Amino acid sequence: MKAIGVILVGFLGGLLIYCSMDFPPWGDPHSPASSHVSPYYIEHTLEDTSVPNIVTSVLADYRGYDTMFETVVIFTAGIACIFLLRVFKAVEPETRLYRHLPTGITLRIAQGGKFPDDSDQFKRIDSDWVPHDIILQTTCRMIIPFIQIFALYVIAHGHHSPGGGFQGGVIFGASIILFAIAFDLRSAIKRMGERLTAFLCALGVLIYAGVGLVCMLYGNNFLDYSALADILGVDRISARSHGILMVEIGVGLAVMAVMVVLYYNLASAGKHDEGL
Amino acid sequence: MNIIVTLLLICGLLFFTGGAVGIIRFPDFYSRLHPAGKLDTAGLTITMGAIALYTISPFSIEALIIALKIILIAVFVFITSPTATHAIIDAGVRAGLKPWRKEPEADE
Repeated sequence: MKAIGVILVGFLGGLLIYCSMDFPPWGDPHSPASSHVSPYYIEHTLEDTSVPNIVTSVLADYRGYDTMFETVVIFTAGIACIFLLRVFKAVEPETRLYRHLPTGITLRIAQGGKFPDDSDQFKRIDSDWVPHDIILQTTCRMIIPFIQIFALYVIAHGHHSPGGGFQGGVIFGASIILFAIAFDLRSAIKRMGERLTAFLCALGVLIYAGVGLVCMLYGNNFLDYSALADILGVDRISARSHGILMVEIGVGLAVMAVMVVLYYNLASAGKHDEGL
Repeated sequence: MNIIVTLLLICGLLFFTGGAVGIIRFPDFYSRLHPAGKLDTAGLTITMGAIALYTISPFSIEALIIALKIILIAVFVFITSPTATHAIIDAGVRAGLKPWRKEPEADE
């Protein structure tokens, strides 16, 4: 059995190496990859869309249709995660732990005891008991706003530098996941609930498709942003640049919400009660 | 100015070297995190300071803004790197990892 595996791997590897000889030489200007549409993109991006970053304009304008369905794939991943993992009728544990906030004492309330209300006096904590780590929480409190501002910057500055909706959305989602790790899953869900995240997933895709639809209603092709010139009151070339920004915001929202949904469901095995 | 920048860079690289050697040479988890948390932060702060000084040496407003951004990097690493080390060590203690002793313990 092992010999067959070795022979198979050797044969397939040899075949791959043999086939790779047919590739055009590296950096060949006449290779198929750099002879059809790439020169057009490189030469016309700035005059067509007034976006200095070619990658962004190819991603969101020339190939906007492709990127829209990439966003839909991410949206589908989030929805599938909810359907597969979410447990709606979770059994509440009979023993709960509470922290008395003014003193920092942990209370263990067994079955039959009266549970205190979630107020500014008592806070329910995970049964996998985690000490109150003030260093970690203070640092996160200080860092998270900067992470979120940086995420918005990455989304909005995708026209001029590496960045865009996907990257910015991931950074924004990571800031919320950091909050959920440093505090606990309950406080994260209290701030950014399940309904809100699911709504934002769908809203992101809707913004993308809606921008395309508005273009179509104005008589252009789907996702041809130059149709937005009349609404925005700018010329047709900078309308394409603004259209890219709107689409990037949609992508950013969808990616951010899906990241958060994935974390909530994977970290708590779909029960949304206790995280990592 | 160039001499100061070079001296600071050499100093920072010395810290980095010490950190790398420490991570390899120290005996256990906790003592290895000590150079990882401390020396890397010190080295990065000094190196970033040197780069910021180098940027503003012909002084202008643009250069000052770039230098401030570089200093911001140093500030964020200065805040986050020790916190990360703290969290890792906390996790190690909670998982029950015993610190390394030179003599094997007799009472166990």
